[in-house]
Amino acid sequence: MAETLLDIAMMHSDALIHRAKQGDQNAQGRLVQLWYKRIYNFGYKFFVDHDLAMEVSQKTFISMCRNLQGLQDIARFKPWLYTIVVNYCREEARKKKNNRSASFDVVWDSEAENSLPWEVSGRRADDPEKQLQQSELSDILQDALLQLNAEQREVVIMKEYEGLKFREIAEILNVSENTVKSRMYYGLDGLRKILERKNINKETINYEL
Amino acid sequence: MNYKPDESALMAYLYGEVEGPEKEKIEQYLLQNPEARKDLEKFKALRSIMGSVKDKEVIAPPIFIDQPKQNVFRNSPYLKTVMSIAASLLLIMIVGKITDTKVHYSDHELKISFGETNKPNPAETHPVAMLTTNQVQQMINASLNENDSSMQNRWKDSQQELDASIKKNLLKNSDRLDHLVHEASTASQQQIQGYVAGLQNENMNLVKDYFQLTSTDQKKYIEDLLIDFAKYMKQQQNNDLQVVQTRLNNLEKNTDIFKQETEHILSSIITNRNNSTTKGINN
Repeated sequence: MAETLLDIAMMHSDALIHRAKQGDQNAQGRLVQLWYKRIYNFGYKFFVDHDLAMEVSQKTFISMCRNLQGLQDIARFKPWLYTIVVNYCREEARKKKNNRSASFDVVWDSEAENSLPWEVSGRRADDPEKQLQQSELSDILQDALLQLNAEQREVVIMKEYEGLKFREIAEILNVSENTVKSRMYYGLDGLRKILERKNINKETINYEL
Repeated sequence: MNYKPDESALMAYLYGEVEGPEKEKIEQYLLQNPEARKDLEKFKALRSIMGSVKDKEVIAPPIFIDQPKQNVFRNSPYLKTVMSIAASLLLIMIVGKITDTKVHYSDHELKISFGETNKPNPAETHPVAMLTTNQVQQMINASLNENDSSMQNRWKDSQQELDASIKKNLLKNSDRLDHLVHEASTASQQQIQGYVAGLQNENMNLVKDYFQLTSTDQKKYIEDLLIDFAKYMKQQQNNDLQVVQTRLNNLEKNTDIFKQETEHILSSIITNRNNSTTKGINN
């Protein structure tokens, strides 16, 4: 993952966290600004739904600001924050499960999946071709992620996209490190199988891109 | 060497979270097992594909956090009681102000009164005491006279005004009445005329409509009749034509048959003839 200015700022935010912990609202606001993108993207990959991701992010940061004083070790801020977001994600997923009505996006996505590739590409005719294929691939991957079970999905997103260490993930999920790795293995394996079924591998991608 | 790294170890290796002898062991194993190497390559390929999912750009919305401390203060029952007492005191004070309530306590008696108290004003009574009765009488008389005259004047004035206004009103009313009566009479004439005209118009329209309707009906009926008749004629014509056609066809067929028969007869005659001639020649 390429290090952006934001990533660097996130790495050196100890002083900021310290001030936020003492109730400095300005520092809390800056902390939200720093981490919002990461938390939102975690939520987005978990649900592949903008609204749910926004809701989960909002709840996470509200909870963060309220409970930051209780955080003992500043170095543990990152896993602590992910613990909150994972819990809210699970809560939302439960709610979603109970709510039996399918959202319009889901219906639409399944339709798009069944349709031929050129029909899908038709709705984004304005994009340059490469960008279009990139986003198509991204859609397929996110769809595949959504097909994993929630436990594997959490681990895969945290490891692959959030760049957390296995040790940190184990701490966040409150399970053993080996369990995390095992979930990761089966998650990746599952993804690979889904993509193979769709005939997507490195060669076809390189050919297309 | 029968070391085989499990899934967890492979994952740790894939993400570079293994160090030292463990790492070496795994590398050794991979060197010896092309199958496992292939598997790992597959995972690596998958990771590179997964890298194409980019983060979505998002702008953090402002997050408002209510201060829990303030809430606790606001919700405390003490503050509520104090605030309610203060509010009721204020209410009492406002009501007192509006009704002008006064509470006195003097000479062992409590007085509560609303409105102004009727206290004798010593400053006013004092100069009167210095005047004599005559003077007072004179003053009263003078003021009474003045009052009388002014009253009379005012009365006269008002009576004059009243008279004038009554007269004016009478005139106006009679005028208006006249106008109204006149209007009514003319209006009734006009109304009758209008009514009669309306009736006539209505009748006329009715008759017109009726005639128009009947005429259009008749027209339509005749048109239909004509069309039907034309159709009938056409049908008849067609039938006739068909009959003629079949007749002609029959005729043609008959002639054909006739022709064929003639030809047949002719050919038989010719062959007979030929036979007879050859016979003749032979004979």
